[in-house]
Parts: sequence; structure tokens; C-alpha cells
Amino acid sequence: MNSWRRRDDVALTAADCLLRSFDAEVRRFNGASHLSQLVLRLGAGFDVDRFRALITAVACSTPILRAPVRRRYRVCRPTYRLGSVGDALFPAITVHDAPLAEHDDALVPEIFSARLNTRLEMARGELLRFDIVRYGTAAERTDLAMTWAHLLLDGSGSELFLRRIDDCFHGPGPVADLRDHDVDPPVLSGLLARLKKARQWRDLMARINAAPPHSLFGPRRRVAQALNYDVLTLSRKETATIAQRAAQFAGYLTPMPYYLAAAIRAHDAVFRARTTDPGHYLVPVPVNLRPKGTGRAVFRTNISLLWFHVAREHVDDFAELVAEIMRQRRDSVREGLIESALAGMDLLRVAPARLHSWRARRGLGGELASFFFAFTNEFLPGMDTFLGAPIMNGFHAPSVMPSPGSSLIMSIRDGRLNITHIYQRGAIADDERLRMREQLLDDLLGRASVSEVLRSSG
Amino acid sequence: MTRKDWSQSELVECVLDSVRQLLAVGADFNPQSDLISAGLDSLAVTQLLLAIEDRTGIWVDESRLTPDNLRSAETLATCVYEQLAQA
Repeated sequence: MNSWRRRDDVALTAADCLLRSFDAEVRRFNGASHLSQLVLRLGAGFDVDRFRALITAVACSTPILRAPVRRRYRVCRPTYRLGSVGDALFPAITVHDAPLAEHDDALVPEIFSARLNTRLEMARGELLRFDIVRYGTAAERTDLAMTWAHLLLDGSGSELFLRRIDDCFHGPGPVADLRDHDVDPPVLSGLLARLKKARQWRDLMARINAAPPHSLFGPRRRVAQALNYDVLTLSRKETATIAQRAAQFAGYLTPMPYYLAAAIRAHDAVFRARTTDPGHYLVPVPVNLRPKGTGRAVFRTNISLLWFHVAREHVDDFAELVAEIMRQRRDSVREGLIESALAGMDLLRVAPARLHSWRARRGLGGELASFFFAFTNEFLPGMDTFLGAPIMNGFHAPSVMPSPGSSLIMSIRDGRLNITHIYQRGAIADDERLRMREQLLDDLLGRASVSEVLRSSG
Repeated sequence: MTRKDWSQSELVECVLDSVRQLLAVGADFNPQSDLISAGLDSLAVTQLLLAIEDRTGIWVDESRLTPDNLRSAETLATCVYEQLAQA
């Protein structure tokens, strides 16, 4: 432990610092924050007053939820300063009432996506907020959006957090501190080992920098963050077909390459329509580093990154693309690139927040990636209700930086695949989004698209 | 040890040993224990396959892994054994 760090400080993880850097960047141009969001669509029976009381109790017992994120003396590694919680704000809960007729399973309330473009003051401990839309006079349906500073929770952590809240709701005792301070992401022991791994990461970055990616938005980063998102929920039958194909192509436990391949081709369909050639695709994919099988480590981002670099000639054939991504994934794990990314990010924790993204953008010709992607598999598996109300659907909607300006996040809730497309306004036109969606469904479901038929027939 | 030298029971031990190194399993974890509920996920299964490859010299393609042969160390060892026999 750094001798300047106090006992009640909790260090940001290496990935947290990267996200804090993104936050510094979007904050600079329009005062927004780099946030993430999880949406639960609930049936009847959700009691807002009990939820409010529970969140207040959880925020009292779990100080990390409202701890200022700062550097001590402006030079140490940034930490959650649990000892400075004091009068920090409790998580805000805003309730909106709407007629039942306004509820639509296919549409998410606009207030939710608009919330991604607002600001949370991390330095003041403003890390988490909730928006609730109650439909009907008897709250027959409720939509709940949990929005947080992206570094407080990653995707898996946010689901663990909701589980713990639900446990508190059903439990007989007082609400306990939900944090797991004893669980840190696995960092290599020994400075020399870490430096060796960090060098491997630097070399990888140098190879990536030699061929910068091109995103739908382009390298223009000096714009205000203006995100929107839409969610496509597939039927159980369609999802079963997709899951079966994913297992056939990529394996039962390792379906990510299948979904990533579809996401790459969906973006490629837009580039083709624009008659622009991105040359290749560069996509970072988060890797969950939580201790296996323990359900622990709720807070902080416990992830590393794997980079996939796909030449455009691999994109034409879907099966070949999946195989290429599988090969790269296998080689990356074999070469220890998960550990090297962690070691590289870890060394940068001492750097000023903006330096992270500035360096990355400088190296990558102004862009960070072709797009962002995550497949988080089952969403809250085995959890049918939240605070007594049935969960009708749920999904993730994390921010994407204005450049690359496009992100596809997929998860499966109760046998139905949810595809969330988060995009910067101006990055993609409406007809392009439709084209992207069609290509995505064609590949996921194994349908031959019109463009595919035309291509193959010459 | 060459590929054909592996018996099925040796492969079970090999898989079990690798699982113990990768996952935080208890002392009661045995060849019939459920791998998925022990925490085998997408990353862990790839690390497991790489560990098996290091020892046996054979890579088991992920697409061969079904829910049935990922049920336990024993069923996974059978899958590896079949692939070794075909190699």
C-alpha cells in the first residue's frame, strides 16, 4: 500500500483509471460524464417507497457508493476516499409517472438514454442514481434505470449489486456493507514481472498503432457527448436458434467470437453503404477477472482487455471471421495478453487522468477503436423478481466515447437476446442503423442477406 | 509422453489437476463435480484447454465442447481422449 494512502482509501483498479480518463475527456467538451446504465423492466408490484428506503440504508452501510474519487495530494493514485463520505449526497432517485398506454416493450423511455449525457460529480462522491418510470395508476408496469459513474461497477458487478440489494430486501437482518475490499484484480507479483508484461503490452499497442482503426464517427473527438440508444429484443425461438448456431461455430461456453463477428459485419455493412474502406477492424473486448465461482467483487471494474484486429478480407465470410476471432482469442490467452494489458494499465494508474486517453488517441490517429463491443451472456440468471416485482426484461447500456461513437452490447434475459446499440448522434444515420440491424440479424440467425446473395452471385 | 500413451484415467487426473489450478474449488471437488457451477466460464475453459494442450500436445477445439462433455472433469477427459484417439 502506498504510504500516503490512508487505511480507509480504496484504490481504483487499472481499468477504473482508464474509465476515469474517458470521463475526463467527455467532461472537457460538454460537462457530461462517462457513465453506464442498467435497465430493468418490471411487472406489477414494485414499491418505490420501499426501494427508496432500501437504497438509503444500503448507501449508509456501503460508503463506497458515495465516496469521493480523488487523488490524495494530487499526485497519488486515485482512490475512493471512504473516510471523506461525510455529508456526501445519497444516490438520487427520480420518479416519473406515465399513463399505462405509454408503456411499450419495444421502446425504452427517452429519459434513460438522455441520462447518459448528464454529469455525475465523482470528486464529490456522486456516483450512482436511479430513474423510475411508473406506468398506470396502480403502477402496473415499472421501468428502472440505474445509472452510475462507469468505474463504480462493471457489467457483472452491476448485476451482483442488484442481487445484493434484492437479498437485503428479502433478508431479515440489517443491511450489511456490500463492498469486497479484500478482492483485488489479479496483478502480477514482483515489479520485474510486471514490467516485462507491461513491455509486452506496449509492444502490442505499438503494433496496433501502426495501423490505426477507423470508426463510424471518425477521429473528431472535440465534440459534445450526445448519446442515444435503442434495444432490440429477439424472441425465444430466434434466440434459441442463435445460441445453437453460436455453440456450433464457437463452442458452448465461448460464444463471444460468434457475436463479435456479427457485430463487425454489421458495422462493415454501413461502411460498404458509404463506399468507404476502413481497412480493418480493431475492437477491444472486456474480460471479466473476478474470482471464479465466488460471486464476489461487486465494486470497481474487475476487467482486462483483449484486442481483436481483423483485416477486411476476413470479413467477407462469416464462418471464416468467427474462426479468425477464435484463433486470435486463443493466441492472446496463450501469450498472456490479458495479464499484460492489466500490467500496462496498472503502471498508468499514477498518470494524470487525461493522459490515458490522450496517449491512446494520439497513438491511434485520433480514434480509440472501430467500435466497442461486449457480450455479457445471461443477464441476472436465476433471478425472476426484483424487490418482489417480476423482471420482464433487462439489459446493459454503457456509454461509448463520441469517437468511435458506436457500441453493440448483447446479453440474454430469460431466453431472449437483447441487443443494445449505443451511438453518438451524428455517427450513424437512421437508414444506416436499419442496415446495420438487418446485417446483424442475417448473420446471427444464419439468413442469407440480399447483399450477400448479390455478392456471391457476382 | 506421446499422445497415444495417455489412458483415460490419466486424462481425468490431468483435467482435474488443471481445474484445481484454475478455479477456487474445495477439497471435495472430484472427477464427477460440476465444472460450470465450480466457475468454469469462457476464459477459464480456454485456459483449461491450453493447460491440457501443454500436457497432452493436443488442442481440443472449443466447438467440440458441448454441455454434456463440459459436465465434469471426467466427461471432459473423455472428450479429450476421443480426440487423442482420432489424432
